[in-house]
Amino acid sequence: MVQYNFKKITVVPTGKDFIDIILSRTQRQTPTVVHKGYAISRIRQFYMRKVKYTQQNYHDKLSTIIEEFPRLDDIHPFYGDLLHVLYNKDHYKLALGQINTARNLIGKIAKDYVKLLKYGDSLYRCKSLKVAALGRMCTVIKRVGPSLAYLEQIRQHMARLPSIDPNTRTILICGYPNVGKSSFINKITRADVDVQPYAFTTKSLFVGHTDYKYLRYQVIDTPGILDRPFEDRNIIEMCSITALAHLRAAVLFFLDISGSCGYSIAQQAALFHSIKSLFMNKPLIIVCNKTDLQALEGISEDDKKLVMEMKAEAMKTLIGQGGEPTNDERVLLTMSTLTEEGVIAVKNAACERLLDQRVELKMKSKKLNDCLNRFHVAMPKPRDQKERPPCIPEAVLEAKAKKAEQAAEKQKKLEKDLEDENGGAGVYSASLRKHYILANDEWKEDIMPEILDGHNVYDFVDPDILQRLEELEREEGMRQEQEADDDFEMDGAELTPEEQEALAEIRKKKRLLIQQHRMKKSTAESRPTVPRKFDKDKKYTSERMGRQLSTLGLDPTLAINRARSKSRGRKRERSVDRGDQNGTDDMDVDGNQPNKKLRLRSRSQSRSRSKSRPPYEVVPGEGLKDSAQKKKAVKLAEKSHKKRNKDARKGEADRIDASSIQIGFILHKLYTESCELSYPLLEVALKALKGLYGYRGESYCGLI
Amino acid sequence: MNNIMKRFIRCIFICKKPKDIKCFGFFLPFRTRTGTMRLEKCWFCSSTVYPGHGIQFVRNDAKIFRFCRSKCHKNFKMKRNPRKVKWTKAYRRVHGKDMTQDATFEFERKRNRPERYDRHVAEETLKAIKKIDKVRVDREARHHTKRMKGKKAQVQKEAARELEQSIHMVKAPAVLQKEPSLTLAKVYQKQTEDRMVE
Repeated sequence: MVQYNFKKITVVPTGKDFIDIILSRTQRQTPTVVHKGYAISRIRQFYMRKVKYTQQNYHDKLSTIIEEFPRLDDIHPFYGDLLHVLYNKDHYKLALGQINTARNLIGKIAKDYVKLLKYGDSLYRCKSLKVAALGRMCTVIKRVGPSLAYLEQIRQHMARLPSIDPNTRTILICGYPNVGKSSFINKITRADVDVQPYAFTTKSLFVGHTDYKYLRYQVIDTPGILDRPFEDRNIIEMCSITALAHLRAAVLFFLDISGSCGYSIAQQAALFHSIKSLFMNKPLIIVCNKTDLQALEGISEDDKKLVMEMKAEAMKTLIGQGGEPTNDERVLLTMSTLTEEGVIAVKNAACERLLDQRVELKMKSKKLNDCLNRFHVAMPKPRDQKERPPCIPEAVLEAKAKKAEQAAEKQKKLEKDLEDENGGAGVYSASLRKHYILANDEWKEDIMPEILDGHNVYDFVDPDILQRLEELEREEGMRQEQEADDDFEMDGAELTPEEQEALAEIRKKKRLLIQQHRMKKSTAESRPTVPRKFDKDKKYTSERMGRQLSTLGLDPTLAINRARSKSRGRKRERSVDRGDQNGTDDMDVDGNQPNKKLRLRSRSQSRSRSKSRPPYEVVPGEGLKDSAQKKKAVKLAEKSHKKRNKDARKGEADRIDASSIQIGFILHKLYTESCELSYPLLEVALKALKGLYGYRGESYCGLI
Repeated sequence: MNNIMKRFIRCIFICKKPKDIKCFGFFLPFRTRTGTMRLEKCWFCSSTVYPGHGIQFVRNDAKIFRFCRSKCHKNFKMKRNPRKVKWTKAYRRVHGKDMTQDATFEFERKRNRPERYDRHVAEETLKAIKKIDKVRVDREARHHTKRMKGKKAQVQKEAARELEQSIHMVKAPAVLQKEPSLTLAKVYQKQTEDRMVE
């Protein structure tokens, strides 16, 4: 309810902010796009929507403000008066009234402009109307700006007012400034009110809560009141007056006996009498504070008289409540907040008095009678005057006693204690084997190996292992004898050394064949299938045939002769033969190899691997990183010339080299430059060329 | 790298099983419940896995596969059957290369019932293990020799056959008829060469 909680009021924006908020919202939440090509009704509708939307928003927001701010007449008079004291009722009402008018004005503006918009005939006109409407609405708000600011200030202040419940049990503390009211409230509640030596430290009401007999009491600390005529009081004092006037509370009037507040007892008494009208129907207690400085008995006679007068007044209120015979303690109390003596007594007395009063009132009211009918406390009537205490049988008592004895006796030494003795957790490790139950106690600390020779010992453990082992060994012994008996091997016919040699030779040949076949197979893809006339390796010579036949033991001469007679006799072959007969050739690299077969093989294109090196080993200086790279490089190279080889095409190796060109050109030059050069000489030169470069030389001759 | 350190590198891996069993595995330093160490057998190659070596894979149906090294582990992941992989013990046993049934294998059996410690029994066990090992090794050797028996004769027979069939590669049949001895023409040629050199 607004009554207690002013914190829920929404923030009131300033005029400018208000305008910004509303206009930006209009811009965001309404369609923004309109073209002059649209139907006029659509354009009108578009702008009317904007005007109405703005008006609606203004209306809503202003209404919330008006509704949320409390109406001073509708709330509890305490709050009403408090707000009046703080903010001036008239100003407050005016501000709210202005907001209200603004709201109405905006409504009117919107209505008028919407009416005009209905007859707008072009986009431009509609737009201007809308601009005008919004502009006027915003001007209204601008004018109302100061009120908005004022309301915002009020809201902020109201939010910080103490939440005082006017209907619950309240204790009010009043008196001159500096008498010790705030110290008192600090003592009895958890409130933390400022306590300072100067007057008017407390400038507004403070609330604390305290408990008494399971009930919660509000304790309200007021600013000090001075003895002045009513009209001259300032706002701060008026707060306390308001509180006094409207709250049904127990009043504690504080009196500083020592006079250290700066005011004499006479002045304080004067104040008391001037505001005693406010104490009507309220339980009043006069509290004499600061007794540590000055005891109540020690004050002067005049002062004592004044105090007694005050007490008399207070007692009047007591009597007015249907009082009991006067008890000094219930009306006049002494205490010292510094030494804390008597503080609790004061609180208790105040709470008691208040409670009595409220109960009495409640009893008198009609509501309570309905409640009273509903509950009834039943007490069993005593049958007779016999005492009946609780009964415990003897045996149980004895057993309990014994148990207690035993528990005290049996101080078992725990493992934990042992550990602590021997150096703590890290140093001492408990011996887990202490309590093992073994056949022989000496075995407790035995270490048994878990692993032996690659076996788990635990897998072998068996009480009758020895027996089984014996059986096994017996068995083994018998078997070994058997073995010795039939342990001979038939030795078949062995081969003679000659036969062995022959076999070795056979196997060598077979291996060679297989190897060659494999090589052929692997290079099949990149090797050209050329006719035999281009036999580079010279595999099909008659010489070779002769040799092979002679190794088999046959006489090759007949076969060679026949082959030679059948052959067409090529120049090249013969020339090579001639070279062979001389023993060495200029072209021969390894001249010291008399065996043609070996020489050719070394020049052959087949994979001439070095026998000592593995295939893809990288030789330093080759320019390759590792064998993988080499492998890759070799593969790439092979791939690149595979197809060409297969087609027996000219490749990179069949390049025309510069020297051959040069000779040709030189000759050509010779021929052209000197026609005197004899033709036969040229012919000889050409023949030499042919001889040197084979059929390629022919083509150069062709050039010339 | 220290095999203990390797333990921390292999943490969790996931393996896809053929059917709907989804498995996960994790590596554990294997200690039995009593806190002792045990030598295990590699599931793939049946070699012993010492503590701190290998990987242990636990499938979702709670079957444990232990591997001695990544070779076995990778083979397993490739779903190879150890009975078909030549170098494993399983293959050797199935194909009769190694001894399958023997009394010595009965001694080493995993007992799940704990036995009360007895020093004498422990001593006897330790001594017995050595003897049993010796016996087993002897028996395996015997098995091996029995398997290899007759190899020599077979080899000789094969050699004789090869010689008979392929003699034509080194000596022409015609020449063989004339001269039945197996002295080869190469020798003959060598002699001719020497003669030429002379």
